Amino acid sequence: MTAAALSASLEDYLEAIYHIVRDKRAARPKDISQYLDVCSSSVTGALKALAERNLVNYAPYDIVTLTRAGEVAARDVVRRHESLREFFIKVLAADPGLAEQAACKMEHEIPPELVDRCIRFVEFVEMCPRGDTGLLEGFRLHLEQGCRPRCFDTCDREPQLPVVQDDGAGPEGGHGRVTLADLQPDQTAVVKRVQGEGTLRRRLMDLGIIAGTSVTMERTAPLGDPLEFLVRGAHLSLRREEASAVQVDVIR
Amino acid sequence: MSKSTNVVELTPPVEQSQTRFVTLAGNPNSGKTSLFNALTGAYQHVGNYAGVTVERKEGLRRHDGLDLRIVDLPGTYSLATNSLEERIARDVLVTESPDVTVSVVDASNLERNLYLTVQLLELGLPVVVALNMVDVARSRGADFDVDKLSKLLRSPVVRTVARRGEGVRDLLEAIVERSTFPAPSEFHVEYGPDLEREIARLDGLLAVANPGLAPIPRRGLAVALLEGVDTHRTRGLGAGLLRAAEEAGSRVERLLGDPPDLLIAERRHGAAAGLARQVTVRSTLARRDVTDLIDRVLVNRVLGIPIFLATMYAVFHVTFTVAERPMEWIELGFARLGEAVGGSLPLGSQSVLHSLLVDGIIGGVGGVLVFLPNIVLLFLAISLLEDSGYMARAAFVMDRVMKTVGLHGKSFIPMLLGFGCSIPAIMATRTIESRRARMTTMMVIPLMSCSARLPIYALIIPAFFAAHARAWVLWIIYLTGIALAMLCAWLLRRTLFAGEGLPFLMELPPYRAPTLRSIARHVVERSWLYVQKAGTIILGISIVMWALATFPRLDPVAWAADSGVAVQDLDDDRLASARLDHSLAGRIGHAMEPLVAPMGFDWKIGTALVGAFAAKEVFVAQLGIVYSVASPDETGAAFLRERLRADYSPLVGFCIMLFALIATPCMATVAVVRRESGSWGWAAFQFLGLTALAWVVTVIVFQTGTALGLGV
Repeated sequence: MTAAALSASLEDYLEAIYHIVRDKRAARPKDISQYLDVCSSSVTGALKALAERNLVNYAPYDIVTLTRAGEVAARDVVRRHESLREFFIKVLAADPGLAEQAACKMEHEIPPELVDRCIRFVEFVEMCPRGDTGLLEGFRLHLEQGCRPRCFDTCDREPQLPVVQDDGAGPEGGHGRVTLADLQPDQTAVVKRVQGEGTLRRRLMDLGIIAGTSVTMERTAPLGDPLEFLVRGAHLSLRREEASAVQVDVIR
Repeated sequence: MSKSTNVVELTPPVEQSQTRFVTLAGNPNSGKTSLFNALTGAYQHVGNYAGVTVERKEGLRRHDGLDLRIVDLPGTYSLATNSLEERIARDVLVTESPDVTVSVVDASNLERNLYLTVQLLELGLPVVVALNMVDVARSRGADFDVDKLSKLLRSPVVRTVARRGEGVRDLLEAIVERSTFPAPSEFHVEYGPDLEREIARLDGLLAVANPGLAPIPRRGLAVALLEGVDTHRTRGLGAGLLRAAEEAGSRVERLLGDPPDLLIAERRHGAAAGLARQVTVRSTLARRDVTDLIDRVLVNRVLGIPIFLATMYAVFHVTFTVAERPMEWIELGFARLGEAVGGSLPLGSQSVLHSLLVDGIIGGVGGVLVFLPNIVLLFLAISLLEDSGYMARAAFVMDRVMKTVGLHGKSFIPMLLGFGCSIPAIMATRTIESRRARMTTMMVIPLMSCSARLPIYALIIPAFFAAHARAWVLWIIYLTGIALAMLCAWLLRRTLFAGEGLPFLMELPPYRAPTLRSIARHVVERSWLYVQKAGTIILGISIVMWALATFPRLDPVAWAADSGVAVQDLDDDRLASARLDHSLAGRIGHAMEPLVAPMGFDWKIGTALVGAFAAKEVFVAQLGIVYSVASPDETGAAFLRERLRADYSPLVGFCIMLFALIATPCMATVAVVRRESGSWGWAAFQFLGLTALAWVVTVIVFQTGTALGLGV
């Protein structure tokens, strides 16, 4: 791949041209010098170097566009840049400005495999039903307030991840069927399966109690029933027999 | 932004009528009603949806030369279940095709609220999102990228704080702008290859069956078909399509192991969660929020019930004591008015006009209006409980009790409203999904002592009980009503309305400081309802009652001759009681005497109770007329109390209250029950059943009390 041989500064030029072209269809050397805050002579030099590698269409005093190969190379740089920034902001809870700066520097050096891993990791955390936002929010709290027992509600999830595979049809024996009704106050669980008849199931679904949702038991009503749960940021109350229609895995 | 929309308005690209139809859709507790009030101000009309009794709130707002007709849809979490509210919301959205639908979203609970927004967009409606309560969200550490949300939903998004009226102008601009380009929204959820295949198939069938349907609503309809949602539109489709949808559903279930409605809901939640995550800029949502801290105390295992009972007691104590002073003023005002009017008319107590004006009209209306302070305060308390969020906690705390009689914790809220007035309470039973549970609740609601009965208690309690005992007596009366309601509900659920229970499942909304504006609106609205009732029905009945107590008129000389009393011995009191004896009211009362005697009542109370059948508060007006007709020189509740104290024992006083509590709901209640239950049969059943129950209970109490020597 041609891009691999590019210097950091040429990659920056390529990236700049990509952004300008996307906004304005074509780039003039002046736009590029403004975008990167460099003098026009260095732009000319860089454009010549890029044109030599057949990445841009360039003639003096003419507008600049990317060649097909140039676009592929530029996209790769942009992708690295954005994935890194995303990773810093979303996973490491970094300040957006700092993340942008760091991404700018790292994008040129980081091996593509690691970029892929970062992307995959963000994907995993966001998509995995067990991850939920709780994990990242827990980390953010951990950074802000130092370690408190609550952080580890979420840290503890990792070892249980493989349980996801055994879905529903699992043996009734073993550690038994755990439902929402079995939770103790302040315990958190992830919904495995919602049983029960039509109306109840539909209501539960509409209020967001579906497989993969994390539910925290809040408290029991003074007379022992119903129970209060925290689901997707809302406080819901369910009777014991309704709660027992929701099979869960206890996380903590 | 507002500037540019003004320019657009001057040269509208689409020439249309100057009225735009706007609907407001959102979850319960999303601030939808506050927003509706902020949008429409005082220009509101409250009616009902055709055929059902779900309230339809409609308002008008003029903006930029356009008339916006705004309808507040029932609050729902989804449009996919078949509860009454959701069906109504869906039908309005589909059949009345609003120009713009405002999706009211609680920003502090973005993910759950967007679930409904996603469904609105799928229907292909032009949507404007009102990101409401951004202040609450911000205080909890969340901020939002509004532009990004707007881009993702392909619909305008406006930040609002409806309770303070913030962002309402921007929202109006956005509504006007959106209605000027009424293209459907292009947002849709990706349901994954297996579901998409079935959706495409149904979509194709729909296109053949209904070529006029545009692609976006058609896709929405295809999804609804696959979900098995019953809408106005799916109902109209041919049997072939419905069968195709059913087959598609079972194919999906065989393939993926779950029914399509579950899979679709999962995907929608996924989409909502994804949207929320992408647009939430900063979120350190504190897990232990204020609501949680308050709940740790208010619904505490130990304190929950005492706090609940104390709250109820406090409500009634305030209603009773704080109202005393203004009540005295109103009483005095009406007495003066009576004197002034009486003084300006030709002298002579024989004048029928004088008697009608002073005794019938001023006396009757005054006797009802004097209790307005009680009613205002009671509604104030109820609105405070409702708006602050404690009402839902009451349902949470009391559900265990309601469950034992086979009712839902939700039944508790209408029953609590029953303390205000049975009519809104019975209408509130529509939140109960099961017809059996709903009917049961409706039947026992009149046992919850409504505010119209308060005038009776307010008259009688001070007449017979010492100041320190008054609140307690009132409390006992209310508790008796509650206990009887429970008993009746239990019986009904075991006999007439036997059947399975229903999901309790309820949201406990975050606590919010109620705003003065919304409390005032509630109180004025409901108090006005009471006054209207007093002004029309009760005035009419008061006049009828006055006529009953006045005609046929007695000729004093002839009477004196008949009964052998010398004309010079005739004093006012003897003449007055003779007049009453002679009148129709007296005759009806006398005829009823054997029936009411076992309860310790005489014909005067019997006569007043006939009035209470028509409307509870008439009891007081009627008793007043009965006595003031007897002695026209003296009026006012103080006098009435004195006469009552002279004529009856405290036990009889208590029995009057007991009978008034249990017996026959007022005419308006009967009418509402007929409408809500759909048959006169149930209304008659309730009417007769409660009257019989009242008789039995009161007789038992009076006879037992007398036997124990409590009647002195």
